[in-house]
Amino acid sequence: MKKTIFAYLLSSSLLLSSCATIVSGSKQNVKFSSNPSSATIFIDEVEVGKTPFELKLARNSEHDVQIKLDGYQTYQTTLTKKFNAWYIGNIAFGGLIGLIVDPITGAIYNLSPNEINAQMNKGTVFNSTKKGIYIAVALEIDPKWNKVGQLEKVSN
Amino acid sequence: MKRLFILMLPILLLSCSASISSSFTSQYKPLTIDDKVAFLDLLHKVPEGAKKLGEAKYGDSGFSTSCDFNTNLISARKLARANGANIVKVVKKSTPDLWSSCYRITVEFYFYEGDVSKLPQYQLQIN
Repeated sequence: MKKTIFAYLLSSSLLLSSCATIVSGSKQNVKFSSNPSSATIFIDEVEVGKTPFELKLARNSEHDVQIKLDGYQTYQTTLTKKFNAWYIGNIAFGGLIGLIVDPITGAIYNLSPNEINAQMNKGTVFNSTKKGIYIAVALEIDPKWNKVGQLEKVSN
Repeated sequence: MKRLFILMLPILLLSCSASISSSFTSQYKPLTIDDKVAFLDLLHKVPEGAKKLGEAKYGDSGFSTSCDFNTNLISARKLARANGANIVKVVKKSTPDLWSSCYRITVEFYFYEGDVSKLPQYQLQIN
């Protein structure tokens, strides 16, 4: 009986005394959209869906985001970890246990930004294969580039 | 004393990444984000002709919280790309237990001339 009461008290204190975990949870909803839509979203190089899309991501690590659409430059950004102010609530309500539990669950962090709206830049088509030559087609010339050749229309 | 402990605790807990030690015997030209890197788990075999470039150990720093298997592999992939490796081979894996909530892994880095995307490999999971 004593053990049951102890276990109950311990689990209650663990579950109920972690401010950020209770309020925010260990995962965060992140919204992805793009203009134009239907671009493919990659999180840490894993394809997760097409825009517009919503996904719950673990707060305890940063995530690399790539949004790709044929004919457009790849949009890249990183979801970074920022301090979650709810963690401070532990000092008032949770005490020591909350201070430990929130970092373990990742609730001490907020992923930033929590909404990504990718404005896809038109003008680049990029297809690559390991065995062949690959050509990028760009409508805008980067001043750093050196011209090395000219494509010509083949007449039959 | 208690106040000091409470004040110090978040600082200690903010250093949450796994402890990493790495060594490279040779380095190749860094790979770009478009170059594929394959994850080979314990059961996957390194293809013949692949050249070993180095290895890394991912452990528990004592305050590690972001140290699950996939997070460690993502970190290893960055290290691999920076040193020109396109294969991350897991050679030792300890799952979380009573003493550590972290995956503790040892990985080796290889460069392979062929197409690594065709190798049987571990597929990364998004948390």
